[in-house]
Amino acid sequence: MTSRIDRISLLAVPGLAYLAVIYALPLLILLAKSIRTPDGISFAEYAAFFSDDYNMGVLLRTLRVAALTTLLALLIAYPTAFAMNRAKGPMLTVFLVAMVLPMSLGVVVKAFAWSILFRANGFINTSLQWIGLTEKPVRMLFTETALVIGAANVFLPFMVLPIYAVVRQLDQRLPEAAASLGATPFFRFFHVTLPLTLPGVVAGSAFTFSMAISMYVIPSLIVGERQQTLSMLIARSFLYLRNEALGSTISAVLLAIAIIVVVFSSWLARRLEARQ
Amino acid sequence: MKRQFSAGISRRTLLKTSAYAAVGTLAAPSLLRASSSEIVIGCAGSHTAWMEQIVAPHMKSAIGADILFEGTKSSVNLEKMASNKDAPYLSVVQMDDPVMIQAVEAELLTPITADAVPNMTDLRPDAVHMDGMWCNYVQPWAGVAYNTDMADGVPSWAALWDPANSGQVIIPSLQNTEGMWTLFVAAMLGSGKPFAEAQYEIDAAFAKLEELKPNLLSVYSTMSQAFNLLEQGEISMLAGNFSSYTLPRKAEGVPVDLAAPSEGIFAMPSGICLVKGGPNPELAQAYVNEMLGETMQAAIADFATSVPANTKVKAGAVIPDGVAIYSPDWAFVAKNRRDWIDRFDKLMAV
Repeated sequence: MTSRIDRISLLAVPGLAYLAVIYALPLLILLAKSIRTPDGISFAEYAAFFSDDYNMGVLLRTLRVAALTTLLALLIAYPTAFAMNRAKGPMLTVFLVAMVLPMSLGVVVKAFAWSILFRANGFINTSLQWIGLTEKPVRMLFTETALVIGAANVFLPFMVLPIYAVVRQLDQRLPEAAASLGATPFFRFFHVTLPLTLPGVVAGSAFTFSMAISMYVIPSLIVGERQQTLSMLIARSFLYLRNEALGSTISAVLLAIAIIVVVFSSWLARRLEARQ
Repeated sequence: MKRQFSAGISRRTLLKTSAYAAVGTLAAPSLLRASSSEIVIGCAGSHTAWMEQIVAPHMKSAIGADILFEGTKSSVNLEKMASNKDAPYLSVVQMDDPVMIQAVEAELLTPITADAVPNMTDLRPDAVHMDGMWCNYVQPWAGVAYNTDMADGVPSWAALWDPANSGQVIIPSLQNTEGMWTLFVAAMLGSGKPFAEAQYEIDAAFAKLEELKPNLLSVYSTMSQAFNLLEQGEISMLAGNFSSYTLPRKAEGVPVDLAAPSEGIFAMPSGICLVKGGPNPELAQAYVNEMLGETMQAAIADFATSVPANTKVKAGAVIPDGVAIYSPDWAFVAKNRRDWIDRFDKLMAV
C-alpha cells in the first residue's frame, strides 16, 4: 500500500519541480532583493513604501477594485450557476460555451470593445440619454467603474465554474424538506441553499480576488496611468524607474496579500466543510 | 531492487526521459537561434508595420538576414539588454536617445565604426552620437495630433490648456519619450523663457502641468489606444504625437492631422545601436549599414513620414516652414527622467 502511495505521489513531482523553478525561485530572489542593501539586511524599502501617501493610495485602490470586482462577479455568477444547473442538453452547452469562449479573446481586443461601449456617444451613454436618466453623456472611460465592470467580465468564468461545481452536487431534497416543514423561500435560501453553496463561493471569490488584485493589462488599458494599481507600480519600478529594490518590495507586498487571501479562503472552506 | 511501473517503464527511465525532454524544451529557442542568418532586433512597438513590410524583406535580399523583431518601448528594450548583459540575445536595438545614454552608461553598447558601417559617413553630423555609440536613422517630427472633425487646427500649444477643451485632451506619460514634449512645452509656457533655457525650468513645467489636469481625459503609456480615441472623436487633441504615426493615418483618410504649433515642434530621436557582445556581430553591422544606406533611408522616410538622416536622400517628411524644431539636452533628460516619472505620476494621479 505504501509503495502504491509513493508511486502516485511521484506524479506530483513534475508539477512541483515546475513551480519550484518557475514560481518559487524567482519569488525568493525578489524577496531577497527587497531586503538586501549594500550594508546588509534592511527593511528600509518597506518602511519607505508604507510611509508614502501615493503608494498607500495605490494599495487601497488595488484592494478596493479587487473587492468590488469580486463582489460584482459573485452577484452575476451566483444565479448563473443555478441557471446552468437547471439547464439541460444544448442549453447547458450554450452556457458553458458562453463562459469559456470569451476567455479565448485577448484582453486588448476586449478593452478596445469596452472603449466603444463606454465612450461619450457609445451604447451605454446613448441608452441612458434615450431613457431619460441623463441629459448629457456621463464620463465612463478611464473610471474605476469601467475598470470594475471590465475586470468582472474577464474573471466571471473563474467565479461561475467553482459555484456551479458545488451547486451540481447540492442535494435538491434538502430545500424541499425545508419547504415541507414550512420554511419560506427566503428562509430556505439563507439557511439551507446558501450555506451549502458557500464552499463554491469561497473558492470562486479566492480565484477572482487573487487575479483581480494582480491584474496588469486590464487597468493599464482601461484606466491608464492616472489610476495605477500595485502591478502597474511594479512594472513602473522595474522598467522605468529601474529601481529593483522598490519593485521587489511591492511584489512582496502583493504576494503577501495573495497568500493571506489563499490561506484565509482555505481555512474558511475547511471550516464550512466541517460544519456541514 | 528495480521498481517497475504498470506500463513497464522503470522509474529511472521515466526520470531520464523527463530530464531530456525538459532540457530539450528549454534549449530549443537557443538551438533555433543559433542559425547563422538570424538576428533579433529590438525596436519600438509603433515601428512594427514598416519594420515588417519594408525592412525585413530588404534585409533578406540584401544581406541574407532573417530578422526577428521585438517591438516594445525603449525602456523595456533597455531592461532586456541589462538583464541579459552576460548573454545578450539582441544584436541591434533601435530606441530613443535618452535611453541610449543610459545604455552607454551601463556599458551595453559597442561603437558603430565607419570601417564596419561605411554608410555612417553619409549621415548628418548631428545624427552620430558619443563617438558612434549610436546613430539616428530617421527623425519624425512631433506636434499636436487633432481630430479634424472637431478642430480646424492647433495654432498654439496653449490650446491644450484652453478651458473649452475640458476632458478632451490626452497626453503621453513620461515613461514614453514623446511625453517629454508636453513637459518642455509646459516649461516654456510656465516660465515664459525660450526653449533653450526653459528645458531646465522643471519646477515651472510641473506647475503648468498641474493646470492641465482639468482638461485631461487620460495619460497614456500605450499610444495606439489613445490614438484610437482621437480617431473616434472621444478626444480632440493628442499631445506630443509624431509625423510617422499621424500623417500615414491622415493619408488613409482618417479625420486626423498633425499640427505644428507656433511655439515650435520637436525632433523625435530614433536611434540605432549595436549590442555589446550580441550574437552575429558581422550580420548586425551589415544590418545597421543597410538601415543607414540610401535605399532603406528613402523607403523608411517615405513610409514613416520622417526626415532621413542620410544626406544623400531627398525623401520623406518635410519640416513645416517657419516653425522652430527643438532637440533637448538628452543628457539632462537621462539624468533626471526617473525622478520626473515619479513626480509626474504622483501629480497626475486621480
